[in-house]
Amino acid sequence: MDTTPAFVRSAPRFALPRFLTSEHPFPWLFPSTALLVIFGIYPLLYAIYLSLFRRHPATRTYIFDPAWNWTKVFADERVWGAIGHTFLYTIIALIIELVLGMLIALLLDSDRRGFGLMRALMTLPLVVPPAVTGMMFLLMLDGSFGVLSRGLYNAGLLSPQYPILATGSTALFGVLLADIWQWTPFMVLIMLAGMRALPREPFEAAAIDGASATQAFFKLTLPMMSKIIALAVLIRGVDLFRIYDYVKVMTDSGPGTATETLTAYSGTVYFKNADFPYASTIALLTLVLVLITSNVFIKIFRVRF
Amino acid sequence: MPASATQIVLRYIAAILVVAIFMFPIAWWGLTSIKPISAIFNKDTVVFFDFTPTLDNYRVTLLGKSRAELAIESGSTFGVGGASSYDSRQTILDSTIIAIGSTVLTVGIGLLAAYALSRLTFRGRQTYLAWVLSQRFMPPIAIIVPVVFMLHYVDLRDTHVGLIFVHALVNLPIAVLLMKSFFDDVPQEIDESALIDGATRFQTFRLVVLPMVRGGIASTAVLCFIFSWTEFLLSLFLTTSIRTLPVKITTFVTSTGSEWGFISALGTSAIVPSFIFILLVQKQLVRGLTLGSIKG
Repeated sequence: MDTTPAFVRSAPRFALPRFLTSEHPFPWLFPSTALLVIFGIYPLLYAIYLSLFRRHPATRTYIFDPAWNWTKVFADERVWGAIGHTFLYTIIALIIELVLGMLIALLLDSDRRGFGLMRALMTLPLVVPPAVTGMMFLLMLDGSFGVLSRGLYNAGLLSPQYPILATGSTALFGVLLADIWQWTPFMVLIMLAGMRALPREPFEAAAIDGASATQAFFKLTLPMMSKIIALAVLIRGVDLFRIYDYVKVMTDSGPGTATETLTAYSGTVYFKNADFPYASTIALLTLVLVLITSNVFIKIFRVRF
Repeated sequence: MPASATQIVLRYIAAILVVAIFMFPIAWWGLTSIKPISAIFNKDTVVFFDFTPTLDNYRVTLLGKSRAELAIESGSTFGVGGASSYDSRQTILDSTIIAIGSTVLTVGIGLLAAYALSRLTFRGRQTYLAWVLSQRFMPPIAIIVPVVFMLHYVDLRDTHVGLIFVHALVNLPIAVLLMKSFFDDVPQEIDESALIDGATRFQTFRLVVLPMVRGGIASTAVLCFIFSWTEFLLSLFLTTSIRTLPVKITTFVTSTGSEWGFISALGTSAIVPSFIFILLVQKQLVRGLTLGSIKG
């Protein structure tokens, strides 16, 4: 019998300290830790440090004044407006995308011919660059020649005097349309994956007991998928909360500040006023709100990865 | 309960209708890119399909033809001006370099971390995982200002390398968690038998486990490429002369009007690689989008 080992370890000429050998996690984790610290943790700490300074508008110097930006941020009406828009946007998008995603998943969950192709097609919107999606909807919602605007005019849902993206009360919904188009497929995919992984027996038992399809959905499918739904909502919710691309491309926070979200306001302060400490402060406020909201959500729905 | 023929037909109709609605914007976008300008901006009727398709928009954005040349060719003087800024060849090159660079960096670094998190037992493993995950949830805007300062300080602002590192940071959590889930699919016993045979951890990783997760790594790489290719906010803040595709497209919207022909041509060119790649990784898409926690 051949007993030659598959690997022959040559005797080391000098012994490395144990934490440098591949038995120790250190060398494995070092590169990723370095990247996360240098480009993630350090900038975050720096942003906190920066938020403690006041920018002198005339001399463009920074003066140490820890309370300045943080009192300013809570007194700033645009910040409150942005918080409102961000939450409104996130909640509306989440509800519509979740419900629509669930319905479409139910519809496409079939092994018949052609459904596989349709499921594949549904993934396409996901990978369109969001800036391009924004452009697509900007074109289709154009007040004078946009195909969707004209459709809505003809259906009597909109009036040409109030183009959807140029009217304060409807602009946010115009932006939402792009988001819903792009991200409903995300929910569809996750719900489909969840449905396909469900065990068959409970459904067979329910059918024998005479349960209707609707009853089976509400009494079996939904409860069994609650974990997956919570996870999908969390991932999508966090992304929605930092919404920027569509707003920047489609309305640039306008008209006025009707569609200004937190990230967009921070961007405006950065680009237009060059007030870097205040831009950092608004960005940090966004981070704090994400942390609080997502942690409350995780606690309530016991989300686990 | 078996479905009746009418139910099946109705389901087909409903499904096709829904998919068609979701495909419409893409189709409209593609059609816009081959329409003559007069058809795009028609205020009187919606021109769904123009039977005089033109590739002029692509000739400007992809081949670097100036608009003046086009106008001379066609003998019309409609819309002459604004010449070179629509040429997007350099942009496509920049985007490709950044996407490939950050993908290689992310997968390379992430692979090591993913293996360790899947195989080695050490104190703080769960904490490390949670830390990596929390990075995914950090809004990029929170770090953007210091990152701009940092890159400026080391002369990497507005360079490919700078953006490659930042995109790698954004993609790393997804890559690590996703590849960890692929490593978890390989039974531990395989490692153990290699270790008993005298292989070091690294040999086990490189010669035994790595070949078994090749497919998973490829899917991770494709997803990283797509995320970097479509990323907008960081590219917008960190670059001025280098432009990635999504940022370049937004510069075609000017105060005097939007060049929809060129925008849709470049937009279509940006979408096509994404579509090809996503069809390659259909099976792993759900896993990628949920950071490895739902196996589709």
